[in-house]
Amino acid sequence: MNSSSDLLLDARVVLQRGDLKLDVEVLVQKGETVAVMGPNGAGKTTLLYALLGWLPLQSGWILLDDETFEAPGQDQVTPTRERNLGMVFQDGLLFPHLTALENIKFGADSQAYVDDVVETLNVKALLDMYPSELSAGQTQRVALARSLAAQPKMVLLDEPLALLDIRARVDARNLIRTALQESLAGALIVTHDPADAFALAQRVLVLEDGQVTHFDTPDQIRSQPKSRWVADLMGWNVFYGVAHSSSILLANGTEIATAESGLAGDTMVMISPSAVSLFLEAPGGSPRNSWQCRVQGVQNIDGLARVSLDGPLSIYADITSNAADELGLTIGRECWVTVKATEVRTQPRSTDP
Amino acid sequence: MIGRLPIGVRLLALVAFGFVSAPLISLLFRVPWTRLVTLLTRDTVTDALLISLTSSLVAAVLALALGIPLALHLSRMSGVASSITRAVIVLPMILPPVVGGAALLFAFGRNGLVGSVVFDVTGLLFPYSISGVVLANTFVALPFVVITVEGALRAIDPRYGLAATTLGAKPSRLTFRVLLPMVRPALMAGGFIAWARALGEFGATITFAGNIQGRTQTLPLAVFVALETDREAALAISVLLISISLIVLVSLRDRWWPVR
Repeated sequence: MNSSSDLLLDARVVLQRGDLKLDVEVLVQKGETVAVMGPNGAGKTTLLYALLGWLPLQSGWILLDDETFEAPGQDQVTPTRERNLGMVFQDGLLFPHLTALENIKFGADSQAYVDDVVETLNVKALLDMYPSELSAGQTQRVALARSLAAQPKMVLLDEPLALLDIRARVDARNLIRTALQESLAGALIVTHDPADAFALAQRVLVLEDGQVTHFDTPDQIRSQPKSRWVADLMGWNVFYGVAHSSSILLANGTEIATAESGLAGDTMVMISPSAVSLFLEAPGGSPRNSWQCRVQGVQNIDGLARVSLDGPLSIYADITSNAADELGLTIGRECWVTVKATEVRTQPRSTDP
Repeated sequence: MIGRLPIGVRLLALVAFGFVSAPLISLLFRVPWTRLVTLLTRDTVTDALLISLTSSLVAAVLALALGIPLALHLSRMSGVASSITRAVIVLPMILPPVVGGAALLFAFGRNGLVGSVVFDVTGLLFPYSISGVVLANTFVALPFVVITVEGALRAIDPRYGLAATTLGAKPSRLTFRVLLPMVRPALMAGGFIAWARALGEFGATITFAGNIQGRTQTLPLAVFVALETDREAALAISVLLISISLIVLVSLRDRWWPVR
């Protein structure tokens, strides 16, 4: 995909920490931001600590910009201090006894560069303040400035926006994006929030139980979820059943048809709410995947109506609010639910315990 | 709004305060205030005051200079080694000071393990000299510095070390620019407790350095002697000691413990 000279980070991290067996391969291009998402305890922070050299690898390798930190057969592990990796913690972790400016200058060699990051992250007014006087959003801006001022080749950010309220989050997110673009460093950003991931990252790595389940563009992940966690995160409908060739039989007897064939065994079925169509009359012909359901609720958000339905299938449908009005969808109303077979995604169950 | 404490708790708190303050107050009743100046300007008292202040201050500085590195080291140790080291260091806090003084004689006395070597090389003798007083004071004061500072160091989130290291900090910069400034209150508290402990030291000093007026007799030793010969002088010196301690406590209070 890219020539090797554009490659910044090339790492395979294998280690055991408590019950967690982490085995992750991650590639980051120069100037690229990769988001790391996944449920709690999946190993996201552990991955960052391993890249920093704070946790030892059991096997694997870490190469940054053609410099080998750790590799099989290499006795000397590059110490954290010499890795040129910046770190931004969830709680900022500014040195409490130093002012914002002293924090930012802590690892900096160049005053001009300090001035640059102060400008970019808009922290000029905060420079004389102590960390205890800063809000969560200000703290994170200073923390990122401190990290970037040391001119790292790559920045690792561990849930940098998690403690911010929604307004501060949007502002900080924009500043982070600008700062990361200007610094030209690569970035690995751990986050819970798909909005952060999709706004900041060119690619998203989904980590579940120590394993990578996705490593792809945000759009690919949104449209092709491969795991229950991602499907839930994106608001997809998820069903479990047993597949026979091209259809899946659910436990309640409902059958869902797919465009795939040769399926077998326990299978997870995922259907995007936007792929669900609603009709008042039974569709003509004998289309597969149409069920008569009853409306359980309608939620209108910004011109979009999320309709929850129950029947042979408990399913959510996203339709425009106008369409919902035209159909006269009210609670208890009977209607027909249809889903094209090509919109039905499947995943063998074994990958999702 | 915090609710009131149960009546029993408040009563016991009052008893505790009374128990500590009653002896101090009764002392003040017996002090011969009119003759105070005369009593305190005697040679025995001024000599003892000078020796006490010098030896306790030097001991506090020594305890900090040696205790902080040990605390830094101890805060990184784990397992049996750290337990044993800590037990040895804490021992002088629990040991009867007289036993500590005797142990000091065996180590730093004229024929002691270390003392004989020091004497052969430098001709310096610790027992019955002001250096012996300083040694005894440091011996009992050091553990307070180590325990106070180590506790504070252990309470620091280890990620601060990681943060400093990712910013390129070498061990010396991490220690002097991050860790020690972060435990500044503990350094001050440790130094202060060490000094207070040294100022009040009696048993180890009298055992190891003797009780020679003008050479090794500190204020507490002077009080002990005066109690048998001149009660009024003993009371006067006691007031002096209480005053010194109170002045330091009050002037340090903002920095030693938080004031609302």
